[in-house]
Amino acid sequence: MVAFILRRLAQGAIVVGLAATIVFLLIHLAPGDPFAGWIDESSLDPAVRSQWREAYGLGESLPTQYLRYVVNVMRGDLGFSLSMQRPIQDVLVDALPNTLLLMGVALTLSFSGGILAALAQAGNAGRFGDRAIGGVAMLLFSVPDFLLAMLVLAVFAYWIPLFPIGGAIDPILHDSMSRPARFGDRARHLVLPALTLSLLYFPIIARHQRAALRDVMPSDFVSMARAKGVSERQLLYSHGLRIALLPVIAMLGVAFPALLTGAVFVEKVFSWPGMGLVTVNAIGKRDYLLVTAVVILGSAFVVIGSIIADTLYKALDPRLRDER
Amino acid sequence: MRRTIEVVLLLTVAAACSDDAPPDRSVVSDNGGTLVVSVGGDPDIFLPPLTVSNTGRLVNALVYDQLAQIGASLNTVGDQGFEPQLARSWQWSTDSLSIAFSVDPRARWHDGKPVRASDVRFTHRLYADSSTGSPFATVIANIDSVSVRDSLTAVFWFGKRSPLQFFDAVHSISILPEHVFAGARGVALRSSPAARSPVGSGRFRFVRWRPGASVDLIADTSNYRERPKLDRVVLTVAPDFNTALARVVGGEADLLEQIPFASLPQIAANPDLRALPAAALEYSFIQFNLRAPGNRSRPHPVFGDRTLRRALTMAVDRERTVRSAYDTLARPAVGPTVRAFATTDTTLRQIPHLPDAARRLLDSLGWRDSDGDGTRERNGRPLQFKLAVPSSSKARVNMAVLVQEQLRQVGVKADIDQMEFAAFLDRETRRDFDAVFGSWHSDASPGGIRQTWGTKGSQTKGGSNFGSYENSVFDAHIDSGLAAMTLDSRRSQFTAAYQQIIDDAPAIWMAEPRRILVLHRRIEVKGIRPDAWWAGMGSWSIPANSRIARDRFVPVP
Repeated sequence: MVAFILRRLAQGAIVVGLAATIVFLLIHLAPGDPFAGWIDESSLDPAVRSQWREAYGLGESLPTQYLRYVVNVMRGDLGFSLSMQRPIQDVLVDALPNTLLLMGVALTLSFSGGILAALAQAGNAGRFGDRAIGGVAMLLFSVPDFLLAMLVLAVFAYWIPLFPIGGAIDPILHDSMSRPARFGDRARHLVLPALTLSLLYFPIIARHQRAALRDVMPSDFVSMARAKGVSERQLLYSHGLRIALLPVIAMLGVAFPALLTGAVFVEKVFSWPGMGLVTVNAIGKRDYLLVTAVVILGSAFVVIGSIIADTLYKALDPRLRDER
Repeated sequence: MRRTIEVVLLLTVAAACSDDAPPDRSVVSDNGGTLVVSVGGDPDIFLPPLTVSNTGRLVNALVYDQLAQIGASLNTVGDQGFEPQLARSWQWSTDSLSIAFSVDPRARWHDGKPVRASDVRFTHRLYADSSTGSPFATVIANIDSVSVRDSLTAVFWFGKRSPLQFFDAVHSISILPEHVFAGARGVALRSSPAARSPVGSGRFRFVRWRPGASVDLIADTSNYRERPKLDRVVLTVAPDFNTALARVVGGEADLLEQIPFASLPQIAANPDLRALPAAALEYSFIQFNLRAPGNRSRPHPVFGDRTLRRALTMAVDRERTVRSAYDTLARPAVGPTVRAFATTDTTLRQIPHLPDAARRLLDSLGWRDSDGDGTRERNGRPLQFKLAVPSSSKARVNMAVLVQEQLRQVGVKADIDQMEFAAFLDRETRRDFDAVFGSWHSDASPGGIRQTWGTKGSQTKGGSNFGSYENSVFDAHIDSGLAAMTLDSRRSQFTAAYQQIIDDAPAIWMAEPRRILVLHRRIEVKGIRPDAWWAGMGSWSIPANSRIARDRFVPVP
């Protein structure tokens, strides 16, 4: 297993490297250069402008710039964010934990909720419970993400003011709270964005899980277990789910980066200070270096997500364990 | 699954404990409370020579001081109306080529060190240093140097006499502490710690900035200009307008700096809130491209004709259109200016709304509806154009629809082209348009008109005169106005310039909207300056009997 993970990590590094290269080239092939807007907007005299270009290495050839960029990235230096006026690492260090927290909770909620819903549907196949849960899932699936986010905000923060309207913490009182209270404050602020993201992803998991369960339940090994007198509940939970989980787990690899993308809008609506907001601002302010860093990070997420999914797949399916 | 839950819990705990600062001890203040302002975005940098974001400017204005601040009349000629701030007094030289500012001896930086004349000299050098890259460097180009006469007297030396000498010296420059920035130049200046954690001499001290979340300021209780009445100001970032509005309506924030007209009923229905209309420095207009979009050396086939532009202006009932879009919260624009400027004559002669006269003018120009389809033609070309409107401005979209109908009634077909703001801006700057529904937000001085409507702004790279209106008479009046040494002569020159451009009709001057601040009723506000609504925040207060729970908490710096 260790060798498998190491091999996948090496492959992942190549994928991330390719993504970084493509973004680097695209940005440098675009008209102007990453600093054009910024430098042109300032009333710099030409001598200073050229000094600055030199300071950022823009006077060098593209291959030289690329090599220097790669070396810097490998050393962990992602550059300086012009829109935030600070090193990009600092920007990401501030934003990433918030997004990981949001995504972690949303992934857990959507997967557990989706799997539980599918089990309830499969246990009541064709009956009212199945149709009702399916209907709710279909409704959530078809609601546009912005509408759902605004609806959640309106219902739980405005009409029934149970949760804060936005942000990751209470900006007024957080610092004066005890440690447990600060934990609670953060948790309260997490509820609505995490709920929204979960509701967006839950129906997809539920539908896939239900379909997988329906495929698995008529299998011979399930029939055999049924013939041995295993209860229907045990059949579903112990026999069917173990196999039917595999395709859903494969979705984890996709869900991880997809949630990162989905978080962009949710973070904006709920003012959640994570990567989504950083991305929106970076694009809006043409902060190319920050955009590049976000793309690198996004591709790393894809790789990590797929490695996690494959590892889980192997852990759950004995047939794959010997596969190299 | 269990492992996943454990990971999530760990992440939650880690994130909850990520703020390494210990919990602040809280104190109950007798004087003030907390004002929570909802802002649309993060600040960019707390370095006044480089700050361009609204949030950054707001923080800078509260944390840093200027030598003096412009008065409510927005007079920029001489020093009339300016109020002392860091400078207790000032003295003009007999030849008017220098002004000696006496720094208030009580003034202290927030780290306790006294403010000195050498700080003023340092600040000017920083602004003027080309390696700083300050956009204000050109604005203060007439300031030759700043010398130090004694520890509390800084003398500004000017290259030539100008009506804006005083304005240039005090309005564009916030005084910075030399000892904090010493040694940092150019690129290094941008990444210096003080650019993110400012040390000023203003009535509020900077406490912390949580990127993407909030900026925290507290009262400087020993400030030389008297402590502010508020104990604390917190700016909370809400990039989505609906979220920002929900925060104010839900009581999580006290102030939203601007809301659209459509949201006013929601505010009116809430007994805790009030909408406070105030003068602003914005005006909108339908700008015609006077040059052919594909070939700027040639006049526009339709809008190159002054008489036709005047006819189109006559066809539009600006009063009714503005009233329909804004009710009483805007007035028809008087020209390329706003009423708040001391240089604006509000009785300027406008092109009247006379649709019949417009029809006759168009007839006389040969534009006639010969095929009976309702649109005029000339030499086979229909009198039709595209009007680009940014979809981000509901008011402009609404006005465009009304104008479209009024033009249709005189036989002109305007196709509204709604576009996302960035695309709209791109179209404008490339000057690839027939007509755009634009808007300008002015600075405290009307001098920007040279860039937005003058020949210079049309011909120079990066100029903002997108419609390429060029008239040497207009330019001359503006130049004379900007050079006039008295407010009266300045005003008369500007009046002549405005009258010229109104008569030439390179645009239909549409609306001058007011700013609508939304405030919690417990906030007592004194005066809103049109160019900076936050300018008087040090005098705002929350009466003791109106304070709520969050007013009791003030972080100990």
